[in-house]
Amino acid sequence: METLTLLALSFDALLNLSLLYLAWILLNCEDLLKAIVLFVAFGLLMALAWVRLDAPDVALAEAAIGAGLTGALLLTALAKLRVIETNKGTTQQLKQDSENFQTLHYMTPLALLLVAIGLGYVVFSMPPISAGLSNDVATNMGNSGVSHSVTAVLLNFRGYDTLLEMFVLLVSLLGVWSFGSTTSQHETTPGPVLDTLTRRLVPVLILVAAYLLWVGAHAPGGAFQAGSVLAAAGVLLLLMGWRPGGYLSTLPFRLILVAGPGLFAITAALLYLLKGQLLAFPVEYAGIIIFALETTATLSIAVILAALFLSEPPHSDKEHI
Amino acid sequence: MEVVFKEFPWVAVLILLPLLGGIVCFLFSGIAKFTGLMTVFFTALSVLGLGWQIFDNGVYRHAVGGWGAPLGIDLYADGLSLLMLAATAFVALGVSVYSAGYFERGYSTRFWPIWLFLLGALNALFLTADIFNLYVTLELMGLAAVALAGLAGGKNALTGAMRYLLATLLGSLVYLLGVALLYHGFGTVDITLLAQRAEASPVIWAAFGLIAAGLMLKTALFPLHFWLPPAHGSAPPPVSALLSALVVKASFYILLRLWLEIFGPLVSNTDVSTLFGLLGAAAILWGSVQALRQTRLKLMIAYSTVAQIGYLFLAFPLATAAGVAAWSAAMYLAFSHALAKAAMFLAAGNMLRFGGHDRISDLDRVVQRLPLAAAAFALAGMSIMGLPPSGGFIGKWLMLEVAIKQGRWEIVIVMILGGLLAAAYIFKVLGHTFTQAPSPHESKAVPASMEWSALLLAIAAVLLGFLAIPVLSLLNIGNPFGISEVTP
Repeated sequence: METLTLLALSFDALLNLSLLYLAWILLNCEDLLKAIVLFVAFGLLMALAWVRLDAPDVALAEAAIGAGLTGALLLTALAKLRVIETNKGTTQQLKQDSENFQTLHYMTPLALLLVAIGLGYVVFSMPPISAGLSNDVATNMGNSGVSHSVTAVLLNFRGYDTLLEMFVLLVSLLGVWSFGSTTSQHETTPGPVLDTLTRRLVPVLILVAAYLLWVGAHAPGGAFQAGSVLAAAGVLLLLMGWRPGGYLSTLPFRLILVAGPGLFAITAALLYLLKGQLLAFPVEYAGIIIFALETTATLSIAVILAALFLSEPPHSDKEHI
Repeated sequence: MEVVFKEFPWVAVLILLPLLGGIVCFLFSGIAKFTGLMTVFFTALSVLGLGWQIFDNGVYRHAVGGWGAPLGIDLYADGLSLLMLAATAFVALGVSVYSAGYFERGYSTRFWPIWLFLLGALNALFLTADIFNLYVTLELMGLAAVALAGLAGGKNALTGAMRYLLATLLGSLVYLLGVALLYHGFGTVDITLLAQRAEASPVIWAAFGLIAAGLMLKTALFPLHFWLPPAHGSAPPPVSALLSALVVKASFYILLRLWLEIFGPLVSNTDVSTLFGLLGAAAILWGSVQALRQTRLKLMIAYSTVAQIGYLFLAFPLATAAGVAAWSAAMYLAFSHALAKAAMFLAAGNMLRFGGHDRISDLDRVVQRLPLAAAAFALAGMSIMGLPPSGGFIGKWLMLEVAIKQGRWEIVIVMILGGLLAAAYIFKVLGHTFTQAPSPHESKAVPASMEWSALLLAIAAVLLGFLAIPVLSLLNIGNPFGISEVTP
């Protein structure tokens, strides 16, 4: 037992030190590509840290979104940045900006260090274990319709937060679309390795997403994790050269984008009419309602994330400008 | 009939209708404009319904999902929420009618869904009693605001929007860190329960520091206002109107609400209030001087917002001795500034479209050939300067009264200086009406709906000056500013 604790302790120490070290070299990295790769590595270690903190749900989300999809998004952003740079010769401006940034370079760590010391003092002054609401959650689990507490909180007890979060995701895509796009890529044919890999991986990813969605009712998993895995399948297809083209502006595609937030909002309104309370799921149907909400949310999240990766506004928007 | 009105779920409509309306606008771009206008109209009517409801029944509380705090999220509406909702409804109506004429087809299909989501986020923000839910509404509001700010495209707008994005995300994250500390410290995120459980401790101080810093950044309080002028100055005029009139007020509302309920009683030694007051005074002077120095009309109006935000923070030092009076004055100012500043940006948008530029020194031809826009600008300017009988006058007058009663002459002087500087920068534009312009140059027609929406908002800002008694009595429903304090 003793050795086990010691082992765990040294593992945690190593994990923390690697996180700090990665963050440090990431922030000091001149090469943006290298910085992104370091960021992905940081996300994976962070997911490990969440596992150590007994938060497997957060770990899954961190690995899928924090490390995986954010990394992919950063890489496409970098690719577009390079196109702009070579096209317009804006390097001069960028240099200017980074020189302005240099003055902040020494102030920021100092200020952050002071904040960290202050926060550290506060954290150590608090009782280490806070009951929080886990007792309330435990007593009400029977009425939630699911048996996994994280899902119960996200979809039932605090479902209203999740409703608004779905709109946050949709607005982020609309924001990217409203800024327009610099480049529009055409369909390409992939190399043999990418082609074979994608053909094998996409079905597996779809299966994993379906599993994560289903298992969310009683174990770590759920719509956000499933959605990001499904989005990864979309990203793979996009990397392979597949382009949705005009499909982006069709009604069915738009319906999938809004299905998650839309169904959530409609459910809230209908339940008000039936029960006199927003999002009050009847206990006997709570499980099935939550599953329906999570399924549509998974689809919307996946398509929104993949569309963010593509970051090309639909054609119909472009034509009228 | 009356029973229907009293029991109708106005709060649910206020939150869900704009969100669902936004989805319809997104799905069917052909009817986006019509749907958008209808949604805004019915949302505004619902504010009226909610006002009636809480005027008769007192404060409104609704447990979402039937769980109730601390497990679930509570919605809450009192006089303070009602005032913010009403300001939102008025500005939303004016800006929507204006936007229906302003945005061409391609931009129109992008504008309406995002704007309705922003409206839903604002309503949800003013109606929640939960500090984590406040964070979610802040995120939705912030992202929608950034998306709208960059709508025009082009280098300036995108740079402004990018800075705005970074500032607003940093603000939300710092706020969220404060929420996490409060949850760990007191085991709840419900405002009422936190007010009962919280006690002065390092956690409270750290949480207050983080939350206040995040919200000050989002409210653009001096010296954290650096992001506001480029974002508000380069966005399309109706969007600038929304950002200056509503979005910066929303984060001030959160700061005020949390100060009144949780932090005020615990950290209310005079140091914090004095600091807020000092920053407010600095914002008034710095913002006004910068506004006076601008050569572009929209940037001038944006710096004027930096200055007017300062007045709201002057209420903190005054409220330690006279809570209700000082806060009523600040909220009155916030309301009239929302109307006047929206009108001013819309009028500036009309001048910009008519003349094709917004260089103040060359505006003479524009001002003289657009009498309605000039009138809207002048009326809105009256309220910003604080000339009677406008809403801005009543707000400033109430605040001056409190300051004089307490013998805070330094605050009186700053307020008067701010008013004089405001008069200077507003007359810099209006002065053109009195000089003879040389030959007219080419111009672009401005639709009547755009002219009238600006003018009506400006008239509303002036009319607000006649409604002090009913507005103040509505504001005090549910005693948002506390009962322990003595009303002078």
